[in-house]
This record gives sequence, structure tokens and C-alpha cells, in this order.
Amino acid sequence: MRPVAPDIPAVELRAFRKSYRLGWTGARVGAVQDLSLRLAPGQVLGLFGPNGSGKSTTLKALAGLLHPTAGECRVFDHSAGSAEARPRVGYLPEAPRFAPHLTGREFLFYCAGLSGLGGEVAAQRVGEVLTWSGLAGAAGRRMGTYSKGMKQRIGLAQAIVHDPDLVLLDEPAGGLDPQGRLALDGLIRDLAARGKTVVFSSHLLDAAGALCDRIALLGKGRLLAEGTTAELLGAAPAAPPASRLEQLYLDRTNGHD
Amino acid sequence: MTEPRHRGVGASLNRIRLVAGHTLGEALRMRLVLLFAVAAVLLLLGARWLAEFHFGAPELKLIGDFGLGTMGLLGTLLAALATAQLFFNDVANGAAACVLTRPVRRWEYVAGKLAGVAALLALFTAVLGGLLAGLLLWRSGQLGVASAGLPVLLSACALQWMKFTVIAAMTLLVCTYAGTALFASCAGLLLAVIGHLRPFATGGGLGWLRVWPNLARFDAEALLASGLPLPAQQLLGLAVYWAVCVLLSGVLASYAFKQREF
Repeated sequence: MRPVAPDIPAVELRAFRKSYRLGWTGARVGAVQDLSLRLAPGQVLGLFGPNGSGKSTTLKALAGLLHPTAGECRVFDHSAGSAEARPRVGYLPEAPRFAPHLTGREFLFYCAGLSGLGGEVAAQRVGEVLTWSGLAGAAGRRMGTYSKGMKQRIGLAQAIVHDPDLVLLDEPAGGLDPQGRLALDGLIRDLAARGKTVVFSSHLLDAAGALCDRIALLGKGRLLAEGTTAELLGAAPAAPPASRLEQLYLDRTNGHD
Repeated sequence: MTEPRHRGVGASLNRIRLVAGHTLGEALRMRLVLLFAVAAVLLLLGARWLAEFHFGAPELKLIGDFGLGTMGLLGTLLAALATAQLFFNDVANGAAACVLTRPVRRWEYVAGKLAGVAALLALFTAVLGGLLAGLLLWRSGQLGVASAGLPVLLSACALQWMKFTVIAAMTLLVCTYAGTALFASCAGLLLAVIGHLRPFATGGGLGWLRVWPNLARFDAEALLASGLPLPAQQLLGLAVYWAVCVLLSGVLASYAFKQREF
């Protein structure tokens, strides 16, 4: 693993704005507006918000798949998507459908190869992430036969096969049953324990909120609230502990769906 | 862990090779490709019985013309449709996003896709070319008439493959800014038709079409009819022309793809 300078933020968004052009009319619709965030290395940030709040857009911009309309997206002090930033980023897209004809192992070797790993190093990393994701027993099976939970786990495995410093996960718990979600939570906790910076998006604030060092609530592309779980709960109205984050989410995003 | 290699020509070529191999693997499992391959083989083998309707032309010429025509038509369709489908499959299923967040440059991805499709088209041309050669050899043996030699058939197949790859490169260029596979496929086929009609675009304000790739230069039927292999100098000239067409389309596609968002 590369040494990560603690004073350099892993993620920095400065007045990030993204808008899309609508058809041929030239009219623009804003997806994210003036979003500013900083995340220190090794922290876990959860992006929460209703559909269309700008979570995926923010993650894609950090992954370098989108160009900001205004503002800046920086990853370890490099422009997101630059040749310096990309090797340090792992990305899991929302609801991926990876090549069904490839086995899990073949797919991970492909991803490792694209990340510049070869020979024994690639074999070692692929073996490690297969064991880590609990897919070692199914590594020889075609991915077309994988369950949804297994597909998410192979997605996570491909995102970290090259040992990135920043892992971006777009709705990793989407469509998973409770067991699958628990397994996924365990994997994200393990990533954090290994010193990785993790940014993920989710609708499930009550379930996923506990994983986060920091939480950002988005609504209609704007940052509604941001801070540590404790800070945000301090601002939440009194409610049973289990539902306090959920209550905060509903209060802040009311009218933003 | 050993530091991964991202920079340098070797690393770049390795990424292109990986994307190309992955593309070819996916292409070989596409139903569309299987359908075209089966249709092409059946049509080609059917050429033997079409000889009944020869209208006075020698049977071997008819088999040759029909075989190359089948190869040309289905290869053109395959080049446009498979390129568009392979590109948009990657975009739709998140594979492109996973690849492009790695140290893969956009032009490397475009080059890899094109190389993968070119390999598929080479396979298609080789299989059909081999069948056509076998069919001609078999009938010439039965009829006791000399057929076109192997160098002629090889030249003809090489020309066909060059034409297909130019069409694939033009379709890929459309894909990089198109929104759907259907649009890209139709546009790719339209570009192929324009490319074939290009020699006729001489007047009536169509002079600007001179910059368009002239696909008629790669037509191989006349070559087979003459029974003589393409002179080396002419083949070299065509290879240069092909390389310019593919390279130009590839460069433009890479530029357009660099602007594309996912």
C-alpha cells in the first residue's frame, strides 16, 4: 500500500457543480449544486439522499467518469480522473452486470491486468480478494450463475483488486437481502480497518449510517447536512436511538424527493 | 506489493491487448455473431446449388462472386452491428465504467475495442474464405476446370477484411457520441453505403464526399474474376489507404470518447 499523507484530504470537493443538457433544446438541469466536502484518509463517508439527489453524480465525478460543470473534484490532491488519481481509486458502479461468460477469477485477473498488475503479483492479489470477499469457492464459476449478493461481492473485489486508497461504492446494498447486506457491511468495515478511504451511497440510512465516520445528506443536488454521526444526531429531534438517523434523514430531505 | 506498471508503451499495449481480448471473448458469445456466421456458411454452401441459375456464367465464377458477395454483405452488417452492440453493452452494464476508472486511457479503450472487433472480423473472413476456397477447389476438381488460386483468394479476403475494419472504425466513431446502439448501428450502415457509393459522387455538389473513405476500393469481386492476385504495389497502396482510414476514424473516436460521460 502506498503511504498516504494524513494532511492531504483523500477527497475534496470545492463548489462542485454538475448540470446536464436536456436533449436538443440546450436547457440545462442541475444534478449537483455547489457541493463542498473534505474527507480525511482512512475515513468512511456515506452519501445519503432520495433518488435524484446527486449521490451517483458525485461518486462518478470522483471516479473521473464525469467532468464538473463548475468547481473542482480532487482525489489525494490530484484532479479526479487524472492519470495520477485513477490508480488510487476503486469504483463499484450501481447494479453492475459484469461479463456473465467469465468466471469470477478470470474477471478479477482482467481487472488486475488493466490496473497494471501481472504475473505472481496479480495471482496473489486475486487470491486475496477472492478469500476476502468470500468467493474463493465460487471463483471458478461463471459470473452469470452468481446470485445478486455474489455479484455485489465480486464487484467489491474488482474495486479493490489493485489495492486502491479510495474505494467508491455506488449503492452497494441495492437489492440485497438482510444477510447480503450484513455481509457487505462487514466487508466495508474491513476496508475501513485496513485504512482505506471509503465513500458509498445508500438510501438505507438507519442500516448503513452506523458504518460511517461522516455522513452527508443530499437533496436535489444540494448538501443538506454533513458531519459525524454524533454531530448530526445532536441536531436531530428526540427519537428512539435506532430511528434517529432515519428521522434526521426524513426531516432534512422532506420536500426534496 | 510491487508497484503496478501504468506508464510506458509496454503497459499501454498490454491494456489494449486485454480490452481487445475481452471484446473478442464477448463477441464470440453474442447470438448476433453466431447467427451471422451460420447464415454466411449456409449461404456460401448454397452457392453450389445456385449454380443451376447461372445465366450462362461459368459455375466457378458464380460461386466465387456469390461467396464474396455473401461475405461482403454479412461482414458489413456484422462490422456495424457487432461494434455498436459491443460498445453499448459495456456502457449499459457498467463494464466501461469499471475499466475507465482504472489507469486505462480513453484512446486505449477505443483501440482495444477496435482491435477486438477487427479480430472478430478476421475470424469471420478467415472461416468464410476457407470455406469458399474449399468449395471452389472441390468443384474445380469435379468439373476439371482451373479455379482462382489461393493467392487470389487470400488477396480478396484481405481486401474484404480491410473494408470491414474501416466500417467498424467508422461505427465506433459514431458510438462514441451516440446515445443508443440502434442509432449507431444504423448510422454505421449508412456510412458504409455512402462509402460504397463514393466513386459516383463526382458532381452535383457532392465533391466534398471525396474526403469520405472509398470502400469501393476494397471490392474484391473483380479481383476474383481476373484470376490474378493483387500486385504487391497495389496491395501496399490499399493497405496504406486502409491504415489512414482506420487511424483517422480511431483518432476522431478517441477524441469524442474523451468528452463522453458515464
